[in-house]
Amino acid sequence: MQLTRDEIMERLKDIMISAGGGNEQIYRECTEDSDLSADLGLSSIGMLYIVIAVEETFRIRFTGVGMSDFRTVKDVIDYIEEHQE
Amino acid sequence: MKIENNERFRRYTSPAVFEKIREYPSVSAMWENCLSEYPDVPAIADDGKTYTFAETESHTAAFRSVLSAKGVSGRVGIIMQNSFDFAKVFLAVVTSGSTAVILPPQLDAKTVFGCTMKFGLSALVYQPGMEEKTSVIASQDPSFTLVSADETGADRLPLTETDAKTPCVIMFTGGTTGKSKGALLSNGAVMQGVVNGCYGYSDVFGQRYLLVLPLSHVFGLVRNLLSSLYTGSTLFICRDAKDMFRDIAVFRPTILVLVPALAEMALSLSRKFGKNMLGGDMKYIICGAAAVSPYLVAEYDKLGIVLFPGYGLTESANLVSGNPEPVRKPESVGLPYPHQELKIADGELWFRGSNMMESYIGEENSGIDEEGWFHTGDLARIDDEGFLYITGRIKELIVLANGENVSPAEVEAHFNEISLVQDSQVFEDINENGTHILALEVVPRASEMAALGAEDPNAVLMSELRRVNQSLPSFQRVNRIEIRDKDFERTPSMKIVRYHRCS
Repeated sequence: MQLTRDEIMERLKDIMISAGGGNEQIYRECTEDSDLSADLGLSSIGMLYIVIAVEETFRIRFTGVGMSDFRTVKDVIDYIEEHQE
Repeated sequence: MKIENNERFRRYTSPAVFEKIREYPSVSAMWENCLSEYPDVPAIADDGKTYTFAETESHTAAFRSVLSAKGVSGRVGIIMQNSFDFAKVFLAVVTSGSTAVILPPQLDAKTVFGCTMKFGLSALVYQPGMEEKTSVIASQDPSFTLVSADETGADRLPLTETDAKTPCVIMFTGGTTGKSKGALLSNGAVMQGVVNGCYGYSDVFGQRYLLVLPLSHVFGLVRNLLSSLYTGSTLFICRDAKDMFRDIAVFRPTILVLVPALAEMALSLSRKFGKNMLGGDMKYIICGAAAVSPYLVAEYDKLGIVLFPGYGLTESANLVSGNPEPVRKPESVGLPYPHQELKIADGELWFRGSNMMESYIGEENSGIDEEGWFHTGDLARIDDEGFLYITGRIKELIVLANGENVSPAEVEAHFNEISLVQDSQVFEDINENGTHILALEVVPRASEMAALGAEDPNAVLMSELRRVNQSLPSFQRVNRIEIRDKDFERTPSMKIVRYHRCS
């Protein structure tokens, strides 16, 4: 089933809340333009968490890309949208 | 305190297994034993292929002949990612009687060239695809011997017998407290480090290990690769940490060697997806290289997995102490291993013994004092049962205006006992009046915060933090508490970067 962009965003926020180790607020309020590192403060381990959780949640694989290829929330959503079944 | 022998660990292991934990003077001697005891056992699985011990030796012997044909001896650099070939090249170098100089794969070409001079390398073995790392060498010193890790030949050169004094490996230290240095470990030191990994638990031999940590880190090379080989176990190489749980599902490892940040991540993912992401066969997690929260020990216990907090350094060729099973004192780093001496001098932990490095290489300071002691820079204490506790680092000591010394790690440990706290940092700051104060910042543990179901989880956390603060001796109490939105900045090895607001 294809998820809409908004649905992907909601699920991604849930993942970031678990990954971030911070309080919920900044992830609930983030936008597609939020920078994963500068705005959301995700560390390398936080990024690794997101990759694993996104693969598990959306049943997709990150192949041929590294987390450094994703700068903003939009970049991650684009990748999920493009690769979801 | 001198630990003469391994008797204190006898009761944690069956007699038959305990007798099998033998000491070998060198990697060559250990490897010969592996080949006679476990020739047909799978030793390493990587990239879809599995190699028995005998097959691993066949590839290793072929690479020894490649090195010999090129006249390579002395110090041999290795710059590679985790792979079967890394293990093969490392074994070939050290069982030829040469010294492996492990260069972290993230070094740039200029630094790699600098290392050839600093360490007096006779050759550099690189992974195919990493030629760019050798580009400065090729232009600056065209006659330097570069060897691709996939070179092979028809000949099989037997291994060379070596002794405990033969230099084995130069490894880079973490460099969290200064610049990274190369520590020279003898064959005897490396083998002591390997044997240390066998004490304190019941299922030692014939295990399945998963390698996630880099082989350029002592914890990956000694506690993961060499301990796996020594115990006749099978090592599955996970090439990309993001595939760790997929690999676990396929390979079903029984032992994992992790840094605390990865153990925390695995726990959090298991919660999120409502299943044990580490698989039903996992028995043990060996955890070290940074402070391990007792929370992790308790939570893994609920999953039926024993997480062992330990303490070790690159300079000590692996863990120097570890908790035995069951873990009764999770806030301790366990019992010191055999054949070493330790003392606490003005609060600082010192070591000497067969597992310690010879010296730093290419540095003005050898790192070892005239009496053979290595000064760890860590503050420690030992309890009446002989368990070791790390209470901070000397360089991080905060000297208050009243002359009291505060170790941030010691104070943080109290706040970290709150399950809502994932990480914390205590530091000296200056307030708006120009007064020096002790400040605390904490990163909440998201899963526990969500489980509270409270309208304002931060208020709950803040009241817990204040309660703990009030319970501390007055000189350790913090004057300001802040709950962070984001994780702390971290080093490449995932340690917290400490604030230095007043220095």
